[in-house]
Amino acid sequence: MKSKWHFVLWTVFLVAGLLVAACQPTPTVAPPTPTQAAVQPTQPPPQPTQPPPEPTQPPPQPTQPPARKVATFIWTQEFDTLSPLYTNMWFSTTTFELWQCAAWLFDDQNNPFPSLVTELPSVENGMISPDGKVITLKLRDDAVWSDGEPLTSEDFAFTYEMYVNPANTVASTYPYDQLEKLETPDPQTVVMTFKEPFAPWMIMWRGILPAHVLRPVFEAEGSLNEADWNKNPTVGCGPYVFAEWESGSFARFVANEKYWLGKPKIDEIFFRFVPDDASQIAALQAGDGDLGTFIAWSDIPTLEKAGVEVVPAFSMYNEGIYFYMHPEKGHPALQDLRVRKAIALATDRFSLCTDLLLGGTVPAATDWDQTPWNDPSLQPWPYDPDQAKALLDEAGWVDSNGDGVRDKDGVELVLDYGTTTREIRKDTQAVLQQQLAAVGIKVNLLNAEADLFFSGYGEGGPAARGEYDLFEYSTSPSQPPDPDTADWLCSEIPSDEYPDGSNWQANCDEELDALFAKQRTQVDLEQRMATFHQITKHIFENVYWLGLWQDPDTWAVGKRLKNVKISGATPLYSIMEWELVE
Amino acid sequence: MGRYVARRLLQAVPLLFIISVILFVLMQSIGDPLATMSGRRPTRSADRERLKRQLGLDQPVLMQYVYWLVGNDWTSIDLDGDGVRETRGERKGVLRGDLGRSLKKRQPVLDLIGERLPNTLLLMGTYEMVVLVGAVALGIYSAVRQYSIFDHAVTGVSFVLYSMPIFFIALLSMYLLAVKPKQWGLPYFPTVGMFEPEAGKTVPQVIWHMVLPVLSLSLISLAGYSRYMRSSMLEVLSQDYIRTAKSKGLERRYVLFAHALKNASLPIVTLIGLDLPTLLGGAIVTERIFGWPGMGRLFFDSVSDADTPVVMAILMMVSVAVVVFQILTDVIYAWLDPRIRYE
Repeated sequence: MKSKWHFVLWTVFLVAGLLVAACQPTPTVAPPTPTQAAVQPTQPPPQPTQPPPEPTQPPPQPTQPPARKVATFIWTQEFDTLSPLYTNMWFSTTTFELWQCAAWLFDDQNNPFPSLVTELPSVENGMISPDGKVITLKLRDDAVWSDGEPLTSEDFAFTYEMYVNPANTVASTYPYDQLEKLETPDPQTVVMTFKEPFAPWMIMWRGILPAHVLRPVFEAEGSLNEADWNKNPTVGCGPYVFAEWESGSFARFVANEKYWLGKPKIDEIFFRFVPDDASQIAALQAGDGDLGTFIAWSDIPTLEKAGVEVVPAFSMYNEGIYFYMHPEKGHPALQDLRVRKAIALATDRFSLCTDLLLGGTVPAATDWDQTPWNDPSLQPWPYDPDQAKALLDEAGWVDSNGDGVRDKDGVELVLDYGTTTREIRKDTQAVLQQQLAAVGIKVNLLNAEADLFFSGYGEGGPAARGEYDLFEYSTSPSQPPDPDTADWLCSEIPSDEYPDGSNWQANCDEELDALFAKQRTQVDLEQRMATFHQITKHIFENVYWLGLWQDPDTWAVGKRLKNVKISGATPLYSIMEWELVE
Repeated sequence: MGRYVARRLLQAVPLLFIISVILFVLMQSIGDPLATMSGRRPTRSADRERLKRQLGLDQPVLMQYVYWLVGNDWTSIDLDGDGVRETRGERKGVLRGDLGRSLKKRQPVLDLIGERLPNTLLLMGTYEMVVLVGAVALGIYSAVRQYSIFDHAVTGVSFVLYSMPIFFIALLSMYLLAVKPKQWGLPYFPTVGMFEPEAGKTVPQVIWHMVLPVLSLSLISLAGYSRYMRSSMLEVLSQDYIRTAKSKGLERRYVLFAHALKNASLPIVTLIGLDLPTLLGGAIVTERIFGWPGMGRLFFDSVSDADTPVVMAILMMVSVAVVVFQILTDVIYAWLDPRIRYE
């Protein structure tokens, strides 16, 4: 009886093993796609009714169609929507360089170059009016949508109308709400008239809506909120065309046969949504992905060992600490420049970059680091704890009660330091806590999940409500690569009356306010740059923000991908040139 | 029995209403859905103000709940912010089958769930079958061969697996059965996803990609279930009626499967009754790690984005399933154990 049971058990295991083995992937031909139609065998297969070949002729060789080149990109977050109207999500907008088109793109140095326009507008070429209010765009005449319809100024006008129409719940009306009017005197000309001179105009027109597809939808439904195109944009204008998107699983983009600059070298881009960072690394190691994003510094050695290259792309993000400086609610010590400077000098950000970030980056001096907008003379604050102690003494913050923490007028120098729950930030907090304790500053560490941390004042966001004296995150200008931001304006300090304000550090500096207002109207590049050098110097010297490290986007490029160049502003700008080799 | 089921269903209505109120109120504290709508930066203040109005988030919680429950097509809303309610609402409310639209993805919640539920049912259904068959087989064999080497081995391995977190088993299996074998040039399992893009979404591909997630899920549950089955079987096998059956000269296999198994399976039925509704919610960790597009990931992502309509829909769906499966469990109990009667 016992041996019978063993026999049954082993039989079950054997059959199960065979079944599993039978399910192993075998080389299969990819399902036909529209782009495959052009790829045919050079000879038809021999027909049974055909006479046998002449003895003198070589036997017919079955010609295999060339294998489709499919690159797999691993995206740790799924797109929310693909419509430019409804998304600001990085993982969605980054696909735009595949299937959408833009008036201009930015290269791997974040320099702009024309794409849909024939040349970049400037005061010199007369396309920007002397008062900076009118900007004219001249469009290429060979640009077409993937269905063959010409792409004209009508599409630009329609895009503008949709952004500012209140029936559409768009992600942001900015910067299109800065326009007074938009005119289209002919199919290749777009004339934009702004209410005020508008220097950040280059953040516009990354993603155009096909008027011939969407206008009928808008007219029928009264808005584009529920347009099928938002999820299935089967008509696009980039080197690839949207093919398929299965929620939570994958999305496919196939080469656009009608792209006016030719056909890309890779046949298909396959996005696989893998939300777990460790799984992304495993997939890249195993070769199940050709491109990965936002690689943690600690994972770089593992990937490099597996032959995966890590490419940084500077997207104008810098990790840093804001000081909460509300005159009434803020900690009194932080009102004093000497204390802020002491905090900067007491923190060893250089070792932080070497040890925690494995030397992958360097400290940032200002929030505009690595851009021409930063005053080139500025260097990160040095690590000098002795000078920090001297400055604190000079400011009157001394340890009068012998508890190891400095105090003044009965107030202890104890600061609440908040950030998100990201591991690298928590590690940074621990290191800085130790370094600040060494100069007599006690720091309480606080953490909140990202969605709570970034919540606004009205929604109880702890940073926005001033619950932290110091708060850390990676920040950038409003719309990189443009340097403008509203985060330093006095009018943006959040309050019960104005809960949506974005100046969470509650720092009102009228000089800075005036400089920001000035740069926003300077359409002359050199003048604006000079103003920004003043801005960055002012913020740096007053230690309104303490840079921890430059925070480029880290991309993992698998062994099969070649010719990869990535921009910080429009990452996949050179996708046409990318190649896939086995 | 029919009256009992009808009474239980009627009782469930106020229960579900109370659950929905509590959940909706709790939803208000899961975060700010507008916080991440501007991508990697906090949302611009003017956009925040406009979006709150357009998405109805500027309304008091009570009014938001009413709109969620019965819709807002009976009233007008202010879309352009001029203080005039000029636009007719379009939502029909949950009671009329409209679960709302995702704040993040802007798609109907019903569509989102419809896309994910089949994947979850495929994964979790397979897993439940593997666990059920495996646990019953292991439990019976361990009970029949009590204190044998096999029994000791199963007991030891069960405790080890049961005490392991799922993320550890999942990542370990990924490295041991996918990453490393590939590096060593051996046959390997795929790491993530449902199929290879070059091969397409075929049945063999999906089965092949399901092996690691099902294995990871099963190893832990199999350990727990088989222990329940073993102890239950041991208890039943020592009962007088089993002795009687044996003494009547019935075949051993018949005694085991026809007499003992039916009664010993009662605790397992309870466990399954509790497990099945939660299967609809998916396996959050496993689906995340293996990139499986199921309900667990949808739930996790929606909570992260504070996407209230999606989170509410999933939680209410699971709540309804719990109520229904509990009633089903009671019915099955009565079938398995004739002593149980519902009046």
